[in-house]
Amino acid sequence: MNEPKIPVDLIIAKLAEDLEKSQERILRSKEVLLGPLETDIASTPYEVVYEEDRVKLKHYPPMAETRVKTPLLMVYALINRETMLDLQPGRSVVQNILKEGIDLYMVDWGYPTRKDRYLGIDDHVNGYLDNIVDFIRERHKIPRINLMGICMGGSFCIMYSALHPEKVKNLITTVTPSNFDTDKGLLNLWGRGLDADLVVKTYGNMPGDLLNLGFLLLNPPRLMLDKYVGYFENIDDKVFVENFIRMEKWIFDSPDVPGETFREFVRDCFQKNLLIQSKMELGGRRVDLQNLTMPLLNIYGRFDHLVPPPMCELLTSRVGSNDTEDLCLDTGHIGIYVSGKCQRELAPKIAGWLKERDGSEMDAVTPESMVLASSKKKPTPKKTSSSSKRDKRNPKGERS
Amino acid sequence: MGQEDKEKTSPGSTFADWMTAVTDFWLSAGKTWQAEAFRASAVGEKPDGDYSGRMQEAWQVLLRTWQTSASALSSPQTLEAMLKAANSLPQAAMKILHTTWDGYFQLYQMWLKSLGRAGEASKAFSYEGMDPEVFKEWTAFYEKEIQPILGMPQVGLTRFYQERANEAIDKLNRSQVAIAEFLHMLNLPVEKSLRVMEEKLEEQAREGKLSENFKDYYNMWIKILEGHYMTLYQSPEYSRCMGSTLNAVAEFKIAQEKVLVDILQFLPVPTNRDMDELYKEFNELKKKVKTMAKRVEKLESPS
Repeated sequence: MNEPKIPVDLIIAKLAEDLEKSQERILRSKEVLLGPLETDIASTPYEVVYEEDRVKLKHYPPMAETRVKTPLLMVYALINRETMLDLQPGRSVVQNILKEGIDLYMVDWGYPTRKDRYLGIDDHVNGYLDNIVDFIRERHKIPRINLMGICMGGSFCIMYSALHPEKVKNLITTVTPSNFDTDKGLLNLWGRGLDADLVVKTYGNMPGDLLNLGFLLLNPPRLMLDKYVGYFENIDDKVFVENFIRMEKWIFDSPDVPGETFREFVRDCFQKNLLIQSKMELGGRRVDLQNLTMPLLNIYGRFDHLVPPPMCELLTSRVGSNDTEDLCLDTGHIGIYVSGKCQRELAPKIAGWLKERDGSEMDAVTPESMVLASSKKKPTPKKTSSSSKRDKRNPKGERS
Repeated sequence: MGQEDKEKTSPGSTFADWMTAVTDFWLSAGKTWQAEAFRASAVGEKPDGDYSGRMQEAWQVLLRTWQTSASALSSPQTLEAMLKAANSLPQAAMKILHTTWDGYFQLYQMWLKSLGRAGEASKAFSYEGMDPEVFKEWTAFYEKEIQPILGMPQVGLTRFYQERANEAIDKLNRSQVAIAEFLHMLNLPVEKSLRVMEEKLEEQAREGKLSENFKDYYNMWIKILEGHYMTLYQSPEYSRCMGSTLNAVAEFKIAQEKVLVDILQFLPVPTNRDMDELYKEFNELKKKVKTMAKRVEKLESPS
């Protein structure tokens, strides 16, 4: 029997060639790394129009003629920062939304400190979020606004809309976990076994760095090794380096999560799965999903390993609204907002969907209009659509 | 050398001689002091009133106590017992050292065995029986030999402080073992992926499909490694290990915090515990004020 031959000589020759290329690359990289780099994130101009404790409300000046009259409030998660929605010009959900003629507001949850450890979900939903919604309604003299939630921010929006349906005209949830009774998704699996009481007792707030370590451990070969191999291979490419650094800036900019909020979210959602069963309680009131009578657009990623489809897709069947739509995109958790393909699809889809449901409701805030608003239902049959093309252009380093 | 000579040159005898000399010196010093005080009062000098008398009395009581103790300690039997106890101290220390060394040696042996097994054929994408023996053994050894020492009841004024310090050391040791086990588990996919890579390379070599490009091998390895991690993460062993590591680290941090609170209470700085209590009260007050402000606003607004 012949011994298998390994072309060691050829492999070594190729390695030597690669080594030479690497040396040249390193020399060239000096010009890139030591020169001026444009790595700012969240550079779209905005104005802070409301502040409460650490929480700020950003308002973006319009970039196009207003096509959707009702303003849109975006609510990001308490994990990481909303800057992901405005990574850079040309890769910014914020700018794409503005170009669609939508009046845009965004919640900036800020950086919780130890004094915020006792703030629970109720404080965020019925406190900060409600005050912000009231502020926008008052500012625009309208009874209801459009609400869009991202990830955990989407869960907050579901809770808010169920408790204050009279203030929400349309609801959009993106990569939003609502059903936690599934074995898909590692976070779900780990969240169930987590002793949240001990974590909160130990750290006060859930440290952002600890969360980040957890995210990195979701896929160490890709997120802790291959990502940086890719970086090294392109280290002489200025544009690549700039984009890479922007993503790094966003990923590791992780505020702590207020301890009580973390404890409640783990206990009531991950461990007891109360939200989807309409059994969750906030401030002594039950979060009944049947109160979600406003139109609902539910967007999620088919390849999302943080919030996989089973955690999202049950929502539309549990709400009271007749006008619901599921949109499953062939991308991951962050790919929905940063990948080139989704950048082109997401904002027009949202703008189109909102425009269809915008109506001419610009009346002043009166108790009557609020009652009317909460009882309106659009008798559209339920429909589900999904994108079919798989997006392969997700930048490395994203959590998708 | 006769028995008498032996007694004279033994350490016990030297100690007794020293005790007697010290007692004699202080007794004569006390007597001189008393005589001097007597003389001073006789010639009309003010002898510091009652204070001087009480001091004299106290000095004599002290000397008498010393004399009694010295004579008791000077007896050959007592001295022998004392010296025996002193001799046994290094023996006890040696025993502790010996036990600890035995533990580390056992641990080292287990590591060697574990390393030996790493070369054996491993089943790809399977994480059953992941060799946690080494950590179990160490934990058993620690719990049997070291932890009881740290858990010994403490006495005296500082007993609570000492208890908390010992608890912190105990939790530190436990967290170190838990972290080591967790890191060992995280390393398993790397070991397994290398083994699978070896098999794949042999297979490709047999089929004559070996690539000349090193990057192809790297990509193949990363993909295998990723698959192994995904399998590991789904295993109950991993969930258990991750949970116990998080808990062990958290418990150490809590114990460490308690020691820090003990230290900080001597300094003019507030501890986390103080601040947390304040934050809680502040938070409740803020909530009340906000609710009341909203109510007032509603009452004031024209409806």
